[in-house]
Amino acid sequence: MDFSRVDLCADDQAFLDEVRSFLGTHVTDDVRRRDRETGENFDESVHLAVGAKGYLAADLKPESDGGFSPVRRRIWELERCRARVPWFHTGTTAMIARTVEPFASPEIKEAVLSGVLSGHVRLCLGFTEPEGGSDVATCKTRAVRDGDGWIINGSKMFTSNAHNSQYVFLLTNTDPGAPKHKSLTMFLVPLDTPGIEVQGIRTVDGDRTNITYYSDVRVDDKYRLGEVNGGWTVLRSALNAEHGVVDRDAEGLQKIAAMSEHGVLMAEAVDNTAAIAAAEDANGRRLLEDQSVKYRLGRGIARVEAALSTPEIFGRVAIAQTMRDVSPDLMDILGAASSLPVGAERAADDGGVEYIFRMALPVGVYGGTLEVFRNMIAEHVLGLGRPNYSPPKR
Amino acid sequence: MDRYELQRLDYSLSEAHTDLQAAYRQFFKTSCSIDTVRAAEASGFDKNLWERLCAMGATTMALPESCGGDGATLVDLTLVAEEIGRSLAPVPWIDHVCAARLLARLGALDIANDGAADLVNGAQIAGLDPQVDSAGGVRLIPTGSVADHVIVRDGETIVRLTFGTRPFRVDNIGRLPMAWIDPAKADSRAILAEGAGALAGYRRALDEWRLLTAAALVGLVEETMTIAAEFAKTRYTLGVPISTLQGISHPLANMAIAVQGGRNLARRAAWFLDNEPDERPELAASAFVFMAEEAAKAATMAVHIQGGLGVSSEAAATAYFVRARGWPLAGGDPGASAKQIAEIVAARESRAERRS
Repeated sequence: MDFSRVDLCADDQAFLDEVRSFLGTHVTDDVRRRDRETGENFDESVHLAVGAKGYLAADLKPESDGGFSPVRRRIWELERCRARVPWFHTGTTAMIARTVEPFASPEIKEAVLSGVLSGHVRLCLGFTEPEGGSDVATCKTRAVRDGDGWIINGSKMFTSNAHNSQYVFLLTNTDPGAPKHKSLTMFLVPLDTPGIEVQGIRTVDGDRTNITYYSDVRVDDKYRLGEVNGGWTVLRSALNAEHGVVDRDAEGLQKIAAMSEHGVLMAEAVDNTAAIAAAEDANGRRLLEDQSVKYRLGRGIARVEAALSTPEIFGRVAIAQTMRDVSPDLMDILGAASSLPVGAERAADDGGVEYIFRMALPVGVYGGTLEVFRNMIAEHVLGLGRPNYSPPKR
Repeated sequence: MDRYELQRLDYSLSEAHTDLQAAYRQFFKTSCSIDTVRAAEASGFDKNLWERLCAMGATTMALPESCGGDGATLVDLTLVAEEIGRSLAPVPWIDHVCAARLLARLGALDIANDGAADLVNGAQIAGLDPQVDSAGGVRLIPTGSVADHVIVRDGETIVRLTFGTRPFRVDNIGRLPMAWIDPAKADSRAILAEGAGALAGYRRALDEWRLLTAAALVGLVEETMTIAAEFAKTRYTLGVPISTLQGISHPLANMAIAVQGGRNLARRAAWFLDNEPDERPELAASAFVFMAEEAAKAATMAVHIQGGLGVSSEAAATAYFVRARGWPLAGGDPGASAKQIAEIVAARESRAERRS
């Protein structure tokens, strides 16, 4: 057990300084403002600079293959969060790249992976369908054999960053008659293929995601990943990564759960609320003098610290749930000015808590809903069995 | 606070930790069945169990070596507390350990003094008033009917009270050996310390009490959750085990989440009190506020899952249920701790604002 500050050796200190100066140069106020306005969580110029600097490759590769050491990986992670680097989809690209590696043909692997490391290739997810919900295996997007290729028809929801990506990691149905886990085939489809349409959607937290439509999209068989009707195997390894299955090291240099970054944003909002509550207003009064403010703030802090302490899949739920539970109290404490968004005149905490309240919703939905994770805890940790659903009406 | 500072997040237990944990888990498993717990309900105290626990060194470990103790860390103590909660052991270990450590801190546990050894090894029991904002005067002390020494705060002074005849126990939902104590009626009243240093020492004892109570509640919730989960796996409705219904499984999953979060938070709080006490002084109270709320919620749901059988006063579930409420409540309104948390963090964050 150890929660101490890490003493950096001279080399690692130099790395930290280098990272800070790099981010200071490239992640400007303009970049951050643009990111807020577009909700894209992606900035091509920053992304390419990170790639050119070698950080993308170092982040993706294991230490044994030239990747970051655990302490540098953690420095990079913390500093890019501190600098508010538009980053979220880089994690998606990395996750897909890792999944693709064992399943792709050598030609595709070569083309895709080198581009991922330089930043020129980005990848997006094509799992969920407009009518599918959380069960990704209920897939209606069809891929049909056509000579040495395939014809794809269908649509996908939450293909976030598709408009900045070169490939979509696409789940298709290749055998509608088969049981659902034996009917799936995965492809890595180039997004410039004719027949693909990307339509933007904004979510309540201001993020941009997409719905993508596939109309008679013809792809070569070389873009197939894994076996025909063996897509479930490919998908499983991707879902494990997306659900935040983390191999822990012994040094305490890793984040404790998937979505920890969101937990830290929540903690910052709580810290800021505490600072505001302690400050005197124009009439010399402090919010903290109100005992109900003091109580609600203290209870909120306790719950946030508990969520930040919660590990692995448990933490995945705790963080999103606590954001939803605590942010309304924080907004109440800050009063009417907490209804103002970032950038608005005299917005409380410059809209920080207001943003947490809105962000808490998608955080509990994307990458698997909170119910999906509660099911997993119930089944795999507590041994309660698979959830029972009533059979469909005949 | 700089939330992006490079700090380790290593919650792992050492081999010494896991050995300690296993020894106490085994001890309570063999020595403290639910029948033992029930049998002690009239007094709130199992003297035989207490003596065997003390013989294991459970009180000695908690005190500094300078007082003849073994100098265990608070992290060690959270591991023992968790097992006490898991087994609902009717022993005043948390209160005794916090009070004896307070005596040591105040220089009132002089190893040359005959009475000191008895306090270290648990032959004499120490108790304290665990309320954050005790108003003074007559007060409810959780160990009042069994403690040989009762330590209370009286204004600016810390005093030790003894009673020739032990005060009567009052029935209480936590099944504790609780009694009303009137300091004015004590047979002896010794001032141990006074002033700011003394009060800081007492505050530390209150932090330790809340920390260890939080850890006990973690064990309590985990056990009542496990009992409820086992019940749900074997109970059928319309041909399926009720454990496969999300109305049952999701509340159980929420308990598992609370256990994981509360446990890690208590250990992190303990680590900071052990190693960097001025760094995160709000965490012990945070663990307490979180677990006080979650324990009652979880223990209620654990009874509910077992339905008509659960609500029977013979069911283990109800034994967990009443203590989940009564143990933290013995420390007074958890809201008082919540307000302390707010004060600590608000002071820290306004200092940070001024710096930036």
